[in-house]
Amino acid sequence: MKSITTMALGAAFLIAAVSQGQADPAEGKAVFEAGGCGDCHYTEGPAREQTIEDQLSKKGPELWYAGSKFQEAWLAAWLVDPKPIRPLKYNSLKEDNPGDHPKLADADAAPVTEFLMSLTSDEVESGAVKPKKNPKGRQIFTKKMPCNGCHEYTGRKKKILGGRSGPSLVEAGVRLNPDWILAYLQKPTVFKPVKMMPVFVGLLSDKDMMNVARYVASFEPKE
Amino acid sequence: MRTLITTFASAALASCFVTAPVAAADTQQVFEFYCTQCHGPGGKGDGPNVTKDFPVSPRNFTNAEEMNKLSDADMKNVIMDGGPSASKSPMMPPWSKTLTEEQVDGLVKHLRVLCQCEGKQG
Repeated sequence: MKSITTMALGAAFLIAAVSQGQADPAEGKAVFEAGGCGDCHYTEGPAREQTIEDQLSKKGPELWYAGSKFQEAWLAAWLVDPKPIRPLKYNSLKEDNPGDHPKLADADAAPVTEFLMSLTSDEVESGAVKPKKNPKGRQIFTKKMPCNGCHEYTGRKKKILGGRSGPSLVEAGVRLNPDWILAYLQKPTVFKPVKMMPVFVGLLSDKDMMNVARYVASFEPKE
Repeated sequence: MRTLITTFASAALASCFVTAPVAAADTQQVFEFYCTQCHGPGGKGDGPNVTKDFPVSPRNFTNAEEMNKLSDADMKNVIMDGGPSASKSPMMPPWSKTLTEEQVDGLVKHLRVLCQCEGKQG
């Protein structure tokens, strides 16, 4: 009886370990490449874009810092069931996002997640940002430098508000690494040097940016 | 006389390099990439961000009557420092850290083409 219990516990632990990210990044890289993901996403940094043409020639977001940008659990689930993050098609201001990102099988999503989470940037300080709804962050986000002009978010009564040209920030708290949000604001030329979003360095203080990062990182899933 | 001509020619050549205007094609690209998000592809204030919840109406650059109330300096100021610098909405963000002054000058000229107006002088 004792050995059966031990075996059962061992099996349960093994399953848990696999599901908690023990897949092989090298295998994930092979799946990523074989699946043609690299046709739309580049995975080796630093950023290549120097001009508007460079940015417009991209078919999808760069992923060379995916492990610093995304939260692993969200990424693993998204690869299996990708829902549009941007209201509009990538690099378009006219066409809606067709929502046609390829879906990965469970068996492929785990190693690809491991591969993407292995792509990190030293420019992101780990543990710097603690998510928290805060009035100053909200005031900047909606009034002072209105991020909501271009980014969707969940307003009062769970209503989706905000502009459509940028990636949606609805549920950003489960999608994005809070530390990356701050780094993205503070280091505008590192991750995506040419983008439609204004540079706020010199306009917002580091403290303001921290408040915005904490606020955005507090965006939780809809009830 | 010859020296004078040479001096003028050199000065003219130098000014071409120092203050080379942004090509119209570049300005069109800058306009499309940054401005049309809110102001729309034709500059009519109907970009994709302007949903029914958008709190203000972005300026319609084709409205000559309204655009004529602004000088080039007024427009440059708002592009660089944002709406609040002219007591307008912060939904117009400051682009001074994103665009070069040369690009902004190009945009001002582009807006004059869209409005077909000269604007307030001075």
